[in-house]
Amino acid sequence: MGLKKGSPDILIFFAVMILLAVGIIMVFSASYYDTLDKDPYYYLRKQLFWALLGIVTMVFMMRINYFRLKPYINTAFAVTLVLLVLVLTPQFGVEVKGSTRWLDLGFTRLQPSEIMKLCLILYFAKNLTRKGSDITSLISGLGPYLLLIGLVGLLIMKEPDMGTLLAILAPTMILLFAAGIRWRHIALLGFSGLLALVALIVQEPYRLNRIVGYLDPWAHASKEGYQTINSLYALGSGGLFGMGLGNSRQKLDFLPEQHTDFIFAILGEELGFIGAFFVILLFAVIAWRGYRIALTCPDSFGSMVALGITSSIVCQAFINIGVVTGLLPVTGISLPFISYGGSSLLFSMISIGVLLNVSRFSHSP
Amino acid sequence: MRELTINIKVKKRIGVVFLFVLVLMVVIFLRLIWVQFVMGEDLREKAASARFRNVEVKAKRGVIYDAKGRPLAISVSTDSFYAIPAQVRKSEKAEETAEKLAAILGMDKAQLLELITKRQAFVWVKRHVPDEKAKEIKDLNLEGISFVEEPERFYPKGQLLAQVLGFAGIDNQGLAGLEVSYDKVLSGVSGTIMVEYDARGQEIPDALQKYIPPQDGNSIVLTIDETIQYIVERELDEIMKLRNPKRTGAIVIDPKTGRVLAMAARPAFDPNQYQNYDESYWRNFLISDSYEPGSTFKTVVLSGAMEEGVAKITDRFYCPGYVKVGKEIVKCWRHGNPHGSQSLLEGVQNSCNPVFSTIGLKEGKDVFFRYLYGFGFGKKTNIELPGEALGILVNKDKAMDIDLATMSIGQANAVTPIQLLTAFAAIANDGNLMKPQLVKEVRDKEGNVVKTVEPEKIRQVISKDTSRSVMSILETVVSAGTGRNAYVEGYRVGGKTGTAQKIIPGGGYSTSEYIGSFMGVAPVNDPQVVCLVVVDAPQGTYFGGQIAAPAFKNIVRDTLRYLQVPAQVEPEKLAENQVKSVVVPDVVAKEQNEAVRQLEKLKLTVDVVGNGTKIKVQLPVAGSQLPESGKVILYTSMPAQGDNPESVVVPDFTGKTVGEVQELARLLNLNFELQGSGVVVQQEPVPGDQVPVKSKIIVIMEPKSKSTLEPVGP
Repeated sequence: MGLKKGSPDILIFFAVMILLAVGIIMVFSASYYDTLDKDPYYYLRKQLFWALLGIVTMVFMMRINYFRLKPYINTAFAVTLVLLVLVLTPQFGVEVKGSTRWLDLGFTRLQPSEIMKLCLILYFAKNLTRKGSDITSLISGLGPYLLLIGLVGLLIMKEPDMGTLLAILAPTMILLFAAGIRWRHIALLGFSGLLALVALIVQEPYRLNRIVGYLDPWAHASKEGYQTINSLYALGSGGLFGMGLGNSRQKLDFLPEQHTDFIFAILGEELGFIGAFFVILLFAVIAWRGYRIALTCPDSFGSMVALGITSSIVCQAFINIGVVTGLLPVTGISLPFISYGGSSLLFSMISIGVLLNVSRFSHSP
Repeated sequence: MRELTINIKVKKRIGVVFLFVLVLMVVIFLRLIWVQFVMGEDLREKAASARFRNVEVKAKRGVIYDAKGRPLAISVSTDSFYAIPAQVRKSEKAEETAEKLAAILGMDKAQLLELITKRQAFVWVKRHVPDEKAKEIKDLNLEGISFVEEPERFYPKGQLLAQVLGFAGIDNQGLAGLEVSYDKVLSGVSGTIMVEYDARGQEIPDALQKYIPPQDGNSIVLTIDETIQYIVERELDEIMKLRNPKRTGAIVIDPKTGRVLAMAARPAFDPNQYQNYDESYWRNFLISDSYEPGSTFKTVVLSGAMEEGVAKITDRFYCPGYVKVGKEIVKCWRHGNPHGSQSLLEGVQNSCNPVFSTIGLKEGKDVFFRYLYGFGFGKKTNIELPGEALGILVNKDKAMDIDLATMSIGQANAVTPIQLLTAFAAIANDGNLMKPQLVKEVRDKEGNVVKTVEPEKIRQVISKDTSRSVMSILETVVSAGTGRNAYVEGYRVGGKTGTAQKIIPGGGYSTSEYIGSFMGVAPVNDPQVVCLVVVDAPQGTYFGGQIAAPAFKNIVRDTLRYLQVPAQVEPEKLAENQVKSVVVPDVVAKEQNEAVRQLEKLKLTVDVVGNGTKIKVQLPVAGSQLPESGKVILYTSMPAQGDNPESVVVPDFTGKTVGEVQELARLLNLNFELQGSGVVVQQEPVPGDQVPVKSKIIVIMEPKSKSTLEPVGP
């Protein structure tokens, strides 16, 4: 393919490594109290393990030229789809807190929806840049993609896992948008998306409660608004410099999911605005460098891959922080590189590995 | 070409995505600033209040001391037990805990279990647990059960000074009396132990514990002297026992400073168990209720009138038994037997209503009210007690002559006992009106004086000369007038009786209920105490001179001795007590001159009545015992039968028994009415008055007292 291979994007690499380090420390700090009477290092150990594994796989993916992945994409996508179906079967699925999102592999649990996130991006990138692809037509062009999203979406909704669904929807929609779908189709999609949302809320009343809690958390402080309010308590207590590392009070069981979905609140409480802003800045760096890679990649497939992966990480970060700061309704979504969670971390690192590999072929115009 | 155009379009769209993502980042950034800085303070406080549990540490309430530093109200620390239900539940021994506690505290086990497992952060199990039981509970070391020391109010003297002290409630808050008015001084500032808890209600290991120590309250030193207070309460108990009134009360004030030495009311209550008494018992009627004082108020009227020169000691008045004011009539209390012509002095001694109505009318409305206001009536005295009444004065603008005439005899205006005695104290204190005062010092817990309350002179109402004149007049009320029962051996006492019909709520006067009172001062030449005794609705006799004056006498006598005021018995009175008695010889049928000579030889005084030459009747009869200079009345004509059958001179019945009174009355052709039993102590009309025959003489008798002079202190 006559592409010139350079060195990977050093800024993304460092941004990710710093986020990873911050994540490990914050997971330890946030989970420490909750596990005090059992094993306060439990989550730290697991997160360290996944982080190391993540770094290894990232470096591994960084070294495999991204276009070599192309032939395996269809297979990987199909297998992941099967895994998603398996999750929903009682034999293989593991239920935690009312959701069935994991497959039990014996030594650990795997979250297929996290794999699907990456697979779908790669699958879309590959097909959107195929010769003769015409996304401008609604039925023949856009239709198959929408059906695919619908299928994956349905499976994930069954778990249910709204957060991951959002995290998958955002980058895939961005890919379709970048590939050139028509504005009126965008409007149509937006409208039907709204209808779907209404349908989903009608289907499961707890979703309405979350919206209610989101609109006025203070009036529902003990139920729907509880998480948002305690998240805001944490951030508010942080102020400019924070209460100091390890000194969060909201992690004392006031804030649920303190080491996973709401870890950013604990971070904001312990490290203050300075710390929180620094994390946002690192994601901004990833966005800037990631989109830059997408723009400068000479190969349209590589461009789409970079766009998809960058969007995936940045959008997930935005949604997570949006929830934590009370800007968005509560939805279970992790903060990439920082929240505790094996599958999520591993596949985020694999994605970054792929992105970094793309960056090796991108050059400043 | 086609590839390239797509690429440009794709690049543009990627650019749009990048821009969109940047906007999202900025939104997040702004939101973070909003949450962490704008809402920050509020959120921080709310977060803290969600995890800090405050356990209040009560400040120790200051002590209330009497003037000599004797404690009247103190605070003792007792243990109060509380439960942290989350910890009780966590221990999984809730049942056992409840059972053990129930056994010690004598509470219901089921209720206790419910209490200590309640979904609440903190519950009191039992407050103010006695020491022994508290120790038992502490020894059990129950999980989730802790205690704090809480001060509890204790009144070591029980009922003593109850209505003045008031009481404090379980939360250390003043609820009545001085405990309320000095609540801020006494209560101090509560401290807190703030302990951090996690969301499950468990104390966190390295929790921040903030301890704000309580600031103990300051103590107050009263002007009340426990001993004098005791004397007063003893006398009130005696009145309750003898007269069974609805209520009775007394105040003793040092007139020179306005300091209240004693203030008591009956019925009383025990502030240690204030809950067990009806609220009406808590009321201090001496400052909270007003009444029409009656004749005691005449002292105030007399003072104003003498200051203005409206009444002079040389003035003479005539009492026809009433005084006409326009169309209306103000009766004298002795209208059936009018006082007739009398001096101002006699008018006061007799408590003659027409005399005072006349004075009041002569004074006029403006002057009268000027003194009313000047003495502080119609306004609070601002004594340091809650719930003081204003009293009700006749509206000055609408006051008519009849109002003036009735106000002058202590009716129409309602005043509080404290107002009346404060005004009287001013009369005794050279005319200087002092603010009545209960607290003289505030001390901190180490006993250092923080504040001294100095006596406060409000104004001078009458001159020193007027004050002296009134004092000497009032002295004669006690030595010769209606206030004789208040006479204190060895001291010069002045005072005034008062007997007022009670006002019926809604209007008019009660015909069956009276308020008898006595208000006086001693010693008159150097006033040390003024005292007012009020008896509300006594059973039987209701004359102030009968029911209140004896208590006054005992209070003043014991108080003056306690205060070590030197006795100032006049020499002649001492001598009188030391002379031997003389046996009266028989002088009947002797010539007048000879009889007089014989009696005067025996140092008896002789009064000859009639215009005959020979003695027809002698009183007392031969063989009677009389002290030296005792009076013998010789009738030279048969009274009421002789030359002047229309009128007769009233003899002195004092000291005579019923039999003697009967014989004498028959001789003189007089009717009489007996009140009480024993020997005559008082009579109306007074001896020497010319009365028509068959007039009724009222004689008041009392059991014969051992009239020996009791030992006098240094």
